[in-house]
Amino acid sequence: MDAQDVNQGNNNNNDDDGGGGGIRIPERLLRREQARQEDAERRRKAKEKQSVTEENSEFFIVAFNRDREAVEELMAACSGSDRDADAQTLDRAAAQTQELQKFLNDSVMFLAQYELRQAQASLQRLQTSLAEKRDEVLPKKKFAFRSRTRAKEPVPDAVGPPPVPGPGPGPATAPDGVKADVTPHAEQCGFSDMAAAVLTKTSEEIDKQDVLLSHLTDCRVRLYGSPCTVHIKHVRGCEILCGPVTGSVFVDHCSDSTLAVACQQLRTHHATATRVYLHVTSRAIVEDCSGVGFAPFTWSYPTLDRDFEASGLDRARNNWDQVDDFNWLAAGTPSPNWAVIAEEDRRTTWDL
Amino acid sequence: MGLLTILKKMKHKEREMRLLMLGLDNAGKTTILKKFNGEDVSTISPTLGFNIKTLEHRGFKLNIWDVGGQKSLRSYWRNYFESTDGLVWVVDSADRLRLDDCKQELSALLLEERLAGATLLVFANKQDLPGALSKEAIREAMGLDDIKTHHWCIIGCSAVTGENLLSGVDWLLDDIAARVFTAD
Ligand SMILES: Nc1nc2c(ncn2[C@@H]2O[C@H](COP(=O)(O)OP(=O)(O)O)[C@@H](O)[C@H]2O)c(=O)[nH]1
Ligand SMILES: [Mg+2]
Repeated sequence: MDAQDVNQGNNNNNDDDGGGGGIRIPERLLRREQARQEDAERRRKAKEKQSVTEENSEFFIVAFNRDREAVEELMAACSGSDRDADAQTLDRAAAQTQELQKFLNDSVMFLAQYELRQAQASLQRLQTSLAEKRDEVLPKKKFAFRSRTRAKEPVPDAVGPPPVPGPGPGPATAPDGVKADVTPHAEQCGFSDMAAAVLTKTSEEIDKQDVLLSHLTDCRVRLYGSPCTVHIKHVRGCEILCGPVTGSVFVDHCSDSTLAVACQQLRTHHATATRVYLHVTSRAIVEDCSGVGFAPFTWSYPTLDRDFEASGLDRARNNWDQVDDFNWLAAGTPSPNWAVIAEEDRRTTWDL
Repeated sequence: MGLLTILKKMKHKEREMRLLMLGLDNAGKTTILKKFNGEDVSTISPTLGFNIKTLEHRGFKLNIWDVGGQKSLRSYWRNYFESTDGLVWVVDSADRLRLDDCKQELSALLLEERLAGATLLVFANKQDLPGALSKEAIREAMGLDDIKTHHWCIIGCSAVTGENLLSGVDWLLDDIAARVFTAD
């Protein structure tokens, strides 16, 4: 909408008025609206001038093609004679391809439909040939966690978008402001700051609570019952088994652990060397994770059926192996950060 | 000026509003959007990218953008700022440990020039959870009273029960309409 539109609205009788006749918008209102829009326009232009070099489709096409060619050159350099060198080169090519995808995502707002489709198609071809090249020079490797102590393999650094700039010095961030007490409340259901302990909650204790498990090391946790949501934060070397959760399970900073959960959503952040035995009715995601293994939920306890019922989860619907990696949006190439746990490596007994 | 009067004064194309839903991941943005639109909320997956929903409410055409809140997606938020009339900031009221992160993200957002004219609705969501903080506690913890740059309002709600979703959106529409079309 521009200023002209408003003027027309004043001069013409508007058919959308529902029979109310031509409503006169006062002159001063119009002037105000016009001034407001002119001001917005001025600001927009100033902004545009600033970013015109980036947000320019010609710039995009040149940069995109340059980066695409760089990936193609990397692929061409893989001769198949030196496995390690090829692996490294392909990892670089994959990382650069992902970067290219992010660049494209970032540019979506100003690209024309045609350019967007072209770039997307070109990226798709690149991903396909990258996957083919990998199959050709590097035979498939199976992902498994046989030894927990093995040094982490150098996974190609998940290429994230540039870090979010820190918040500015707005008044809302003043550190001396009154702080409300937002630490876990006294009645918070869960366990915090424990080591080498066996921790259990009964169905009655859990009953529809939101559960928090935080700062646990080498603990074995059993949550019998149906929580409405669960947060698991800063756990290491733990085994956490949890009955059916109505909503989401949110995991942040978890290492060398085994989790068994049934839930509607699983959101996993900063997890390493962790195995998840999962029943999830919508989706699981991982973000900033590596070495996370997934297998179906097999933990059982006497009141599990009842708790499943109480949770409202659909027992027939389990998408445990459809995991989205938010650091790996490249279609066609599987994420290196998670894998399905091979059947022979899955846990079958859960006794304490 | 009442909403009806305002509506009458607006041309059809001006009855469109663009609302942007932001907040940390897991706050319940997608669930709010779907519930508001009368859809099933039990099958919602974590949002990869964004959802756009266009719906009619009280004579307005609302274009609602629901953008993923994951860390890796937050730097994309700015791509969606242009011509935003209303910003809906969704908070998981039971996630005490991330309230600080939540506060920081919101204050960074409010410095964005392209959001300068937008009205801010804060949804203190998940009020149905036993461990949820009240909207007053969230208002204090997030320092909302320090916000002088935007019209704002905080409303406690539950996307699962649907409680207060309507009153939140209605407040937002009234404020936008009044701000844009009322004489002083
Ligand atoms: N108990 C409860 N759970 C909610 C509420 N709103 C959302 N959820 C749950 O919180 C999780 C995250 O919701 P979602 O809408 O995907 O969050 P988003 O990342 O902000 O889009 C899901 O498991 C929802 O079912 C609410 O008001 N109450
Ligand atoms: Mg979402």
